[in-house]
Amino acid sequence: MRTKKDKVSKSERRDFLKLAGIGAVAGGAAALGRAEKAEAAAPDAASGSGYRETEHVKKFYRSARF
Amino acid sequence: MPASSAVADPRVGVELSEEDRSRSALYRLLGRILIAPPDAAARSALSGLQGDDSPLGQALNALAAEAARGDHDLEREYHDLFIGLGRGELVPYGSYYLTGFLNEKPLALLRRDMARLAIARRESVREPEDHVGAVLEMMAGLIDGSFAVAPGDIAAQQQFFATHVEPVAPRFFADLGQAEAARFYGPVATVGRLFLEVEASAFQMV
Repeated sequence: MRTKKDKVSKSERRDFLKLAGIGAVAGGAAALGRAEKAEAAAPDAASGSGYRETEHVKKFYRSARF
Repeated sequence: MPASSAVADPRVGVELSEEDRSRSALYRLLGRILIAPPDAAARSALSGLQGDDSPLGQALNALAAEAARGDHDLEREYHDLFIGLGRGELVPYGSYYLTGFLNEKPLALLRRDMARLAIARRESVREPEDHVGAVLEMMAGLIDGSFAVAPGDIAAQQQFFATHVEPVAPRFFADLGQAEAARFYGPVATVGRLFLEVEASAFQMV
């Protein structure tokens, strides 16, 4: 059962977060999430026989334009 | 690449307050740029961050400005800070911060909590899960419902924060702010430090 005290502290917490600058973040940070997600979506595949497509390897392929 | 924890699309927006969406986004942002240096697309996104005139907001603006600069060698900076030859300037793992060694009890405790919270480790990843960036990403998932924890379960967030984030990450960000090799990662450290101070204070209001 939610008491009056719970209500007070919940809104107190949200107000504190807003005042502290938390509210403003979502837009740009969400965009970053999308940009990063595109990269992470690339197959994390081949967890098998030792060849791993690490960042290092991916970068090499990108630079060599394979 | 250290352990990354998100295994499902976060259900962002499902019953999530604006503050929780922002908190989750900021944890995820910090986590990801600690796990790997941001590429051009990520830097572009970072440069679009806009803060208000609170200290944290100003730190976000400073990070955005730093990300907009074209003169960083982020790969090298990241390497010097975190990888090096054997070790970088910093060793960004919870076990190291808490015990002076890698793969210690803090990692075991984290793995136990990860199992309980149904956070899976990517199979192809070799590094220990208690990388600071990975732990911050786990916080993001706890907030936005990526794992077996309902969004809004503040008690679960608080427990995870108290056990795995608060004893390590603030000190790590303080060290990062002082690191000789830090350029882009200087403003990152300020954002991290201020954000976690806010989080710690806000958890006291639960």
